[in-house]
Amino acid sequence: MPPPPKGKKRVRTAKDKLLDSDLWAAHIESIWKEVDGTYWFRAHWYIIPEETAAGRQPHNLRRELYRTNDFADVEMESVIRHCYVMYPKEFEKARNEGDDVFLCEYEYDIHWHSFKRISEIEDNDVDDDEAEKDGDWNSCEDPDSDVEDERENQSNPLTRPSPAHPLAANSRKGRIFGLQKIGAKKIPEHVRSHKLTEIEKANATLLLATLPKSLPCRTKEMEEITTFIKGAICEDQCLGRYLYIHGVPGTGKTMSVLAVMRNLRCEVDAGSIKPYCFVEINGLKLASPENIYSVIYEALTGHRVGWKKALQSLNERFSNVTERSKEDDRPCVLLIDELDLLVTRNQAVLYNILDWPTKPNSKLIVIGIANTMDLPEKLLPRISSRMGIQRLCFGPYNYRQLQEIILTRLNGVDAFEKPAIEFASRKVAAVSGDARRALEICRRAAELADYRVKKLLSIPNSAAAGKMLVRMADVEAAIQEMFQAPHIQVMRSSSTLSKIFLAAMVYEGHRTGMSETTFDKLAITVSCLCTSNGEKFPGWDMLLKVGCKLGECRILLCEPGVKHKLQKLQLNFPSDDVSFALKDSKELPWLAKYL
Amino acid sequence: MGVENPAEQAQVLLRTRLCNPDFIFTIFSHSPDSNYSKLKYIMSSSVTEACNNSALLLGPRGCGKIAILEMVIKDLLQEYPDTICVIKLNGLLHSEDNCALKEIARQLCIENQLVFSKMASFDDNSQFVIAMLRECGLAHKTIIFVLDEFDLFTQGKQRLLYSLLDAMQSVTSQAVVVGVSCRLDADQLLEKRVRSRFSHRKLLFLPPSQEDLQKILQHALLLPTESGLPSQYVAAYNKKLLNTLSDEKFKDIIESLCHSDSTYNHLLRFLFAAVCHMDTKSGYLSLDNFKTALSSIQRQPKLEALQDCSILELYILVCLRRLEVKELETTNFNSAMKEYKSVHDSFQTSDYYAWNVCLRAFEHLLQRQLISLVDNRGHSQSVEFRPVRLLISSHELHQGLKSYRSCPAILHKLLDRGV
Ligand SMILES: Nc1ncnc2c1ncn2[C@@H]1O[C@H](COP(=O)(O)OP(=O)(O)O)[C@@H](O)[C@H]1O
Ligand SMILES: [Mg+2]
Repeated sequence: MPPPPKGKKRVRTAKDKLLDSDLWAAHIESIWKEVDGTYWFRAHWYIIPEETAAGRQPHNLRRELYRTNDFADVEMESVIRHCYVMYPKEFEKARNEGDDVFLCEYEYDIHWHSFKRISEIEDNDVDDDEAEKDGDWNSCEDPDSDVEDERENQSNPLTRPSPAHPLAANSRKGRIFGLQKIGAKKIPEHVRSHKLTEIEKANATLLLATLPKSLPCRTKEMEEITTFIKGAICEDQCLGRYLYIHGVPGTGKTMSVLAVMRNLRCEVDAGSIKPYCFVEINGLKLASPENIYSVIYEALTGHRVGWKKALQSLNERFSNVTERSKEDDRPCVLLIDELDLLVTRNQAVLYNILDWPTKPNSKLIVIGIANTMDLPEKLLPRISSRMGIQRLCFGPYNYRQLQEIILTRLNGVDAFEKPAIEFASRKVAAVSGDARRALEICRRAAELADYRVKKLLSIPNSAAAGKMLVRMADVEAAIQEMFQAPHIQVMRSSSTLSKIFLAAMVYEGHRTGMSETTFDKLAITVSCLCTSNGEKFPGWDMLLKVGCKLGECRILLCEPGVKHKLQKLQLNFPSDDVSFALKDSKELPWLAKYL
Repeated sequence: MGVENPAEQAQVLLRTRLCNPDFIFTIFSHSPDSNYSKLKYIMSSSVTEACNNSALLLGPRGCGKIAILEMVIKDLLQEYPDTICVIKLNGLLHSEDNCALKEIARQLCIENQLVFSKMASFDDNSQFVIAMLRECGLAHKTIIFVLDEFDLFTQGKQRLLYSLLDAMQSVTSQAVVVGVSCRLDADQLLEKRVRSRFSHRKLLFLPPSQEDLQKILQHALLLPTESGLPSQYVAAYNKKLLNTLSDEKFKDIIESLCHSDSTYNHLLRFLFAAVCHMDTKSGYLSLDNFKTALSSIQRQPKLEALQDCSILELYILVCLRRLEVKELETTNFNSAMKEYKSVHDSFQTSDYYAWNVCLRAFEHLLQRQLISLVDNRGHSQSVEFRPVRLLISSHELHQGLKSYRSCPAILHKLLDRGV
């Protein structure tokens, strides 16, 4: 900061005062009028890094604030003016907001003195909520509205940590207690002050958990889903409908439906379609198929009951036209992922769920997702007739599509040689057409490249300069790792006796033409091989042990060792693999004769 | 106690080392091609770059999968204190999904000082785990899930694996799922939805090569100079040991050891046995110690069981073998007794035991698993009627008779001549 000109005192701006703890920022949650006519508000404070237990950390930015869970009721009088507290993404883009702009990335827990990143999902939700209730006196005026405030009494009494919760963290009807305790005592250095290389950036964007910005290749399917849902919701009658989506894993089924639901949500917010409620269920995450009733019931009403009671209530709800409150009247979209898990012996669960939409006025729309195309056909006729009407197939991706998916993700990151991506896409398209696999191969390849680069850099005077790209060889290594069973390497590095054992298995197989043999016969073969090639025969007991060890790795399939000479043995891999692995073994050149 | 003989101290030191996988495997940890470095890279990238990962450690038993994993975890805990939480499950104990999830919730609660309830349902626990993953992600904390005996988690519907791996691909948390298995086809056991979510990072653990073996021998057995032992003793000991290690006879011992099983574990057990046999008077490891250790580790259970049989038991075994050659439909105690009698009649053997004595001998054989009942059915029948089979082959029986202290010559003859 330049020193002030002579004779003049510097006037601190509000920002400077705030950063010196002479002013405070707060986020207003609600405002009300007291009986005496004064206006009050309830807000949680922001604090500057110096005010935390950890103090200012080296990576803290000058304009950084923490949101706290310290709430206070303050009179409106003390508010000076509006300031902006922004999350990192908005902060980067901030232009015209003036001087009172601050960055807030973390929440600070004043009881536990711990930090936690403010989740993006959560603040999106906050925005949405506030948009909905806009104009409502009870909520704050504007999502960004933060207020500077002169806090009169510095020693604002902090509420003491509440006594240890007697409630268990993992139960209490799905509500989770004590999670506020989880937090970092200090924000780790490496998180903030780490500049990513291109390869590391690629690695991050390829992560499956990062939500891609755009979803190429599934426009048609997404349109179809949108039309389906809109059609079902917007009709006055709102006839219940059913859509069955199928396709192999990793073809974007779940992702597309969720994306459609997000888009529709925006439309609801914009008021162009009627509000509806959305319930998402995954069959593999249910403890039992019947549990689905409880889950649906809870999602609709917020109460948890046993499945029998839930079923009864749901039956009533969906078949009864008359008594429904306004809240209940909204159409309901039910997404059931991994639908095949709901198939029970008498198929009652599926039947019930598919029966509801057919009831007049049920206002229930069911979307089922599963892997197999012929799931409806495998079911009882009365179910498949309902389920099989409207279907949508997500075909496996071809290599062009996979390539496009990867390239869109990598948009703006220059880390891959172009043919490397094509190679990965072609390989996956040939095997399964699973987008997850393709992304994982690329990420693994990026990881291998990164490892290679870091290894080079750790050697002092190696000229590792220049741009490092993920090469074809890296992709190849990643593919190898993903698709190849490591049995050849294990056979090659196994003990001498194991090798002889395997060779004898192959030899025995060729001789008798049978894939299965018993330990009795095999031991005789091994002893023949050993004696005719000048190798010491180690005895049956030892040989049995060797066989069992091979069985443990599943190079062999074998019965338990207690059966001793009666033990049945079989190679778990083609005998060609064994020949390939052992035929040029250095210490046992004679093995080749028998392979 | 008090002042100990330096040899005894050395012995304690050596034994401690051999039981400490950390010590043994440190010699390989620095090379960038080692599994240690690769695994550390994968796991620490999850910590520093805040991403989810999954990996599978494969390889035969005794090749140091868990040892290396523990080492990596220990180092990570040291490098990034307070940010890592390790959850360990074992397929032998937690292969059932419900119980596995409960165990995860329990360990998460303990690690984070939260209150745990045993009564929580499957749904509660799975929601809790997801919530924890998210919260820990926000707090820059990494959760490491270690699933030992990974293949056993694939029985049933694989709900646990699905939940965990699905969270890995949908929750922005930082967690690593590490599966450990000796089954090379472990990833093929995954259901296709689960397999699609698994990242297929695989690290293969193999038995040591010849050079590595030599390195371990020296690394484990040479005494350090700065250990508080008298330096004179240490120098003498090390000199003698190096001599032994380069001895051809010693190399033969090691070769014979590795002939059947060349894993780290086998080698370490052998060395431990050798150190236990060390003569604390002289204070040196001699070739003999290694020889004794070798024979104590290469046991031949069935042959030894034969050595402990009584003559009558041998008779019964030989009779059963003769019946086997005749390829009768079923053999049981009664048919063995018939054979015993006919042998006695035709060869006029000196002793002939009563029926109930023979039955007891027969039961002994069953207990030692030299013979076994053909099936487990027919429990109501008494033993003498139930069909049995020999578990040892004629070769083993031969060998057993040959090395038996005072085996009647007639037995050899009976066995050789068959019927
Ligand atoms: N068209 C696509 N564009 C971008 N990413 C995709 C696309 N299709 C699939 N993916 C990726 O694959 C992952 C799996 O998709 P998902 O919908 O969960 O598969 P499933 O068909 O098994 O439900 C998604 O998380 C996403 O990252
Ligand atoms: Mg899915």
